[in-house]
Amino acid sequence: MSTLLTYISVNDGKIKRSSLEVLSRCNELADIHNLTSSALIIDKDASNISEQLKAYGPSVIYTIENPVFKNHLNTPLLKALSLAVHSIKPLVVAFASTESTKDILGALSANLGAASLSDVSEFELTETGVKAKRPVMASKIVSSVESSDRLTLFTVRSGSYDVSLKTAETKVENIPFSFNDEELKITLKEIITASSDKVDLSEAETVIAAGRGVKDEEGRKLVEELASVLNAGIGASRALTEAGVYDPSLQIGQTGKVVSPQLYIGIGISGAIQHVAGMANSKVIVAINKDSDAPIFDIADYGIVGDLYKILPPFIDELKKVKSEK
Amino acid sequence: MKFYVCIKQVPDVNAPLQIKNGQLIQDTDRNSLNAYDASAVEAALVLQEKHGGEIVAVLIGPDKAKETIRKAMAMGADSGVFIHSETDTYYDSYSYAQMLAAYFKNKEFNYIFCGKQSQDTDAGLTGSMLAELLGLPYVTNAVGLEFSGDVLLVRRQGDTGQEVIELPSPGLVTCSNDMNDPRIPNLKGIMQSKRKPVESVTSDELQAALSAVKTKILGYEEKPGREAGKKYEGEADEIARQVARILDETENVI
Ligand SMILES: Cc1cc2nc3c(=O)[nH]c(=O)nc-3n(C[C@H](O)[C@H](O)[C@H](O)COP(=O)(O)OP(=O)(O)OC[C@H]3O[C@@H](n4cnc5c(N)ncnc54)[C@H](O)[C@@H]3O)c2cc1C
Ligand SMILES: Nc1ncnc2c1ncn2[C@@H]1O[C@H](COP(=O)(O)O)[C@@H](O)[C@H]1O
Repeated sequence: MSTLLTYISVNDGKIKRSSLEVLSRCNELADIHNLTSSALIIDKDASNISEQLKAYGPSVIYTIENPVFKNHLNTPLLKALSLAVHSIKPLVVAFASTESTKDILGALSANLGAASLSDVSEFELTETGVKAKRPVMASKIVSSVESSDRLTLFTVRSGSYDVSLKTAETKVENIPFSFNDEELKITLKEIITASSDKVDLSEAETVIAAGRGVKDEEGRKLVEELASVLNAGIGASRALTEAGVYDPSLQIGQTGKVVSPQLYIGIGISGAIQHVAGMANSKVIVAINKDSDAPIFDIADYGIVGDLYKILPPFIDELKKVKSEK
Repeated sequence: MKFYVCIKQVPDVNAPLQIKNGQLIQDTDRNSLNAYDASAVEAALVLQEKHGGEIVAVLIGPDKAKETIRKAMAMGADSGVFIHSETDTYYDSYSYAQMLAAYFKNKEFNYIFCGKQSQDTDAGLTGSMLAELLGLPYVTNAVGLEFSGDVLLVRRQGDTGQEVIELPSPGLVTCSNDMNDPRIPNLKGIMQSKRKPVESVTSDELQAALSAVKTKILGYEEKPGREAGKKYEGEADEIARQVARILDETENVI
């Protein structure tokens, strides 16, 4: 029987929630279309990770394990994916959209002669391929796209589907894989990791985003204090990542991360379309901005018009009280 | 060193647009050089200033897209290549990559630079497709470039940090706009661009590659809307506390 294959993204030994979202959707589609849903883990500890994955009910977990997957590098990942597709022969390969999967999607599609769609927000199966929706024009509108290829590869924006557990009989199958250093066409020299980088923004339940209005040390302290009260991840607009105030991996938007938290609080952010492209799917949007005409207020559920330096102290104080009452 | 930069003309995403019967209608036909490609041109210029070499801008598009090649040359690219395509057909990244691959097949160069994605579609596929079709090593989402001897050191934004990667020549890089601020052409640049050569390519072999489309657009629709909510104006202490309470009591997100 044909299978829908979900590639499982792993970060520091932990499965990324966004790939469980994709797997859950594939499970659902497999049920509807009488197909199977399976998963693929490519990691240095793939077999350990397969244990974590069983609760989500894929019928088969394929593993490819090799020390070369300790850090992301496109050459070995492409080789492994191509091998997996040739041996599993899936109908589709679905990925969570991450910097690592975006790095290889096009190359894999060229390698396999397969259709590819990136960053979709919805997907379904048709008689002959995949139909999907993708935000376009800086996420101002949505396009409906279709592939009609025997094999379609696609990446899915985080937060597009809910994660659901599933009890099923799950087999684990290892795919033998070898790789020698001569095959590495590129060399990883160094990884520069930001110290503040521990919370995965795309998975955070609460996101505090700082913009150009956060001008100085005092402003950043207020942002940090708010984040710690709410146990939130801190993100930023391009204005501040570009200025080197926040690490580039914290940028939210068209060029940065897509976040879809329960609560997003934008502080001193104007709401340019390229920023909004990365946060418009948040459940509750709060904006603090001194300009009552700032475009962010067009999409905010709660817009607080005022100077952030005056708003944040009582806001934090009140939230602390709320917390302590719990 | 020979650099090719693949550039695309894109509609201005900031211009107002409408959807009628599933079709996208833009109020103006303002077009521009894809912002990520402008960064790729800028990156090549900075390397050229330090290390010398030649920069060629390559574009596939309809006639009106020629002005975008001029723009890249006004920034400083030495020459252009114009590969003509019909306007009214929808091409996807797959077909553009096939066509570019057919063009580059017998060319010699050190590095091809692409943008990391098109501003209008955000596809982000063409660069790595082209690399694979040409059998080139590649790095995507570059935020910094420098030479170490004859080899490019590329800093790319990865999922949890920046990865510094040594990319041998010939190779391909896709550029983020977070790596630089593209220069605005000055008058001298604009004057000089008029004398720079643009080679027009119309070969059947390249045209054939365009038929490789794998995906098609069925239509466009509005985004599920987000309405403006409530605005709180007035005394800072009061409105701040009020919203904090609502987030807990009404929204239950604290
Ligand atoms: C191709 C492309 C891709 C891009 N990708 C991204 C992306 O991924 N992410 C992104 O964020 N941007 C992106 N941008 C940039 C984007 O267009 C905006 O320039 C950027 O988002 C602006 O950041 P900002 O809102 O912090 O700054 P500004 O637009 O300068 O806004 C600052 C806001 O702070 C308010 N303010 C100032 N002082 C105070 C105060 N004391 N109290 C309260 N409010 C105050 C001001 O009223 C203003 O509204 C991209 C641009 C391009 C061209
Ligand atoms: N028509 C084109 N002509 C030249 N280069 C192109 C063209 N289309 C895409 N590219 C290159 O591919 C990148 C974008 O790929 P994509 O997001 O897949 O459309 C651009 O930044 C260009 O470098």
